[in-house]
Amino acid sequence: MDKEKIFEEHYKRSLIRAGTACCPGCGGPLFWRMALEALGPKTIIYGDGPCAYCAIRNILVPTLGIHFSFVADGATGIAAALAAKGRDDITVVSSAGDGATADISFNKVSAAAERNENIIQICIDNEAYMNTGIQKSGLTPFGAWTTTTPRGKETPKKRIPMILAQHRVPYVATVSVAYPADLKAKIAKAKGIRGFKYIHSVIPCPTGWRFDPAKSVEVVRLGVQTWAWPLYEVENGILRLTVKPKARPIEEYLMAQGRFRHLTKEEIELIQREVDEERHRLLEYDGKSIIH
Amino acid sequence: MSFTRMMEGNEAAAWGVKLSRVEVIPVYPITPQTELISAIASMIASGEMKAQYIKVEGEHTAMAAAIGASAAGARVFTSSAAQGILYMEEALWMPPGMRLPIVMCIVNRALAPLGGLRPDHNDSLLQRDTGWIQLYCENSQEVLDTIIQAYRIGEDRRVYLPVAVCYDGYFVSATATPVTVPGQEEVDRFLPPYKHELYSLMPEDYRRPQWGTNIARARYEVQKAMERAKGVIEEVDRSYRASFGRGYDGLLEEYSCEDAEAVLITMGSMTGTARDVIDEMREEGRRIGLVKMRCFRPFPSEELREMAKRYHAIGVVDRNTSYGSAGGGIIALEIARALYPLDDRPLLLDFHVGLGGSDVTMNQIRYMADRVLEALDRGKVEEEVEWVELLDLGEVM
Repeated sequence: MDKEKIFEEHYKRSLIRAGTACCPGCGGPLFWRMALEALGPKTIIYGDGPCAYCAIRNILVPTLGIHFSFVADGATGIAAALAAKGRDDITVVSSAGDGATADISFNKVSAAAERNENIIQICIDNEAYMNTGIQKSGLTPFGAWTTTTPRGKETPKKRIPMILAQHRVPYVATVSVAYPADLKAKIAKAKGIRGFKYIHSVIPCPTGWRFDPAKSVEVVRLGVQTWAWPLYEVENGILRLTVKPKARPIEEYLMAQGRFRHLTKEEIELIQREVDEERHRLLEYDGKSIIH
Repeated sequence: MSFTRMMEGNEAAAWGVKLSRVEVIPVYPITPQTELISAIASMIASGEMKAQYIKVEGEHTAMAAAIGASAAGARVFTSSAAQGILYMEEALWMPPGMRLPIVMCIVNRALAPLGGLRPDHNDSLLQRDTGWIQLYCENSQEVLDTIIQAYRIGEDRRVYLPVAVCYDGYFVSATATPVTVPGQEEVDRFLPPYKHELYSLMPEDYRRPQWGTNIARARYEVQKAMERAKGVIEEVDRSYRASFGRGYDGLLEEYSCEDAEAVLITMGSMTGTARDVIDEMREEGRRIGLVKMRCFRPFPSEELREMAKRYHAIGVVDRNTSYGSAGGGIIALEIARALYPLDDRPLLLDFHVGLGGSDVTMNQIRYMADRVLEALDRGKVEEEVEWVELLDLGEVM
């Protein structure tokens, strides 16, 4: 069998081609390879522009993208067309970056959740406008350097998964490419649920976060282990922590990246206190309803 | 079975949508379009119409959802007006380039600031460069008929472009006139189910128009489709007349133009008033006719050039503004370009009137017609652009 054919067969199975236009170490293609394994070929992906699109261009299921001010809206139309045609065998996925989800199209995501559209809304969160060259978004964490926050971001990251959960949608989950089994299980579960599903993945961005591309998975794994990015799901209002690591100091996660290099000892302590509080809150509600 | 009764423009539009067997309808309310989407909601709630009705959170989403649904193979309808059209403008550029035959009603309404709820044409005319076909209707009957025609025009493989069916808020949208509603079977014979030959988002059949990476080529294709659309609009209108006994003369309608030496060009609801004035003036022996512009995009340049050989003075009634333009309103600008290549050009006068939805009165139309005939007598244009509403015509408003 010639080499090209082997690659073609591999791509056909994995539903994503190699050679994306993404930066080395980008978590985007990694995310999609795992997600598509769970989604399968009967999927239509509606995606926004910029960074996430670099990976989407190489995806081998039907895709449609407009621009990053268009999130969930086109997917709403696709889902409606499928409903009109009685096609319930196709999964509609809507993908967006952090700036699209939390900022310019936040109303779109909220409205699609409120309408309980039968789509899986995915946020591929690299914590800044990376495609335009590292500008702050609503999902940039407190203290992070970007070109528009040269002294570090003054305000915290929006808690979009919790905000979406409070829309009382059937399913919300956070995932990480450092935990492939957890990621795939959550997407497979979302695929089986009718209505609005929200999956939020923080993905590593060596270019914007300032670290060695070889350490991508290590860095986001530290994010989970320090509880900077806890992994949980909210199913019908019930919170469940799916990964409960022993908490490592937040400093390990922060200092693995250049974007936090300027932080003072006091600022790191402040971040640690906030992460601790959030961890305690999550552990307290683990297994309980968070819809009041 | 067909039936006839009094109907407002918005209700007639809802019937047009229902008879066209539209499958997906993403909409957001805005005056004076709201009665249209309420009428559709009632038809769906009562079970007489089957469609996915999406109550979106804004016009920007309405058009994006329309794009998604159309790309996924559904026949789609949406509608809006004024600020709503401006809000969706970012999305309006997509369907022509993607060659998606969405149909949208624009219920014309003046824009803010200093607009009211009533109509002028800036909201739709501003979209003239987006690649949407634009058809303008005079009354409720024409709205219903034009929606059905619009699907056949847009879905024609020679065209594959979205179509805006425009009609004046209140003067058409909320004014009841007699409407004949054709039977479903007749419409089904006229309008086959939607099937896009270039586009499919289905996993088993995924394909999209391939223009390569040459953007100029893709845009040229849209331009060519626009040019072909002229013939298709005329053909579909003729075929409609053959099927239903009503038609609108395709792109332009000439009214009372036999042996006329000059014409007024109108668009939308004001045409009804103008017909009465022209009738009166013809009885007085004045040699003026009326041309109703039904199709603004694609612009009927060749047809106007033909007319210009017969009429030596043309008065354009522009219910819009184009501040600081080369001279006058948007329609006059287009007509000037269309007539420029002629060796023997007619005199061209432009009138701003009916701005912000004020009435276009019989007096005003008579004034404009007089000015056109005066220019013809003198052989020259005294004033190229006049703001008719600022003149004291002795009217009690």
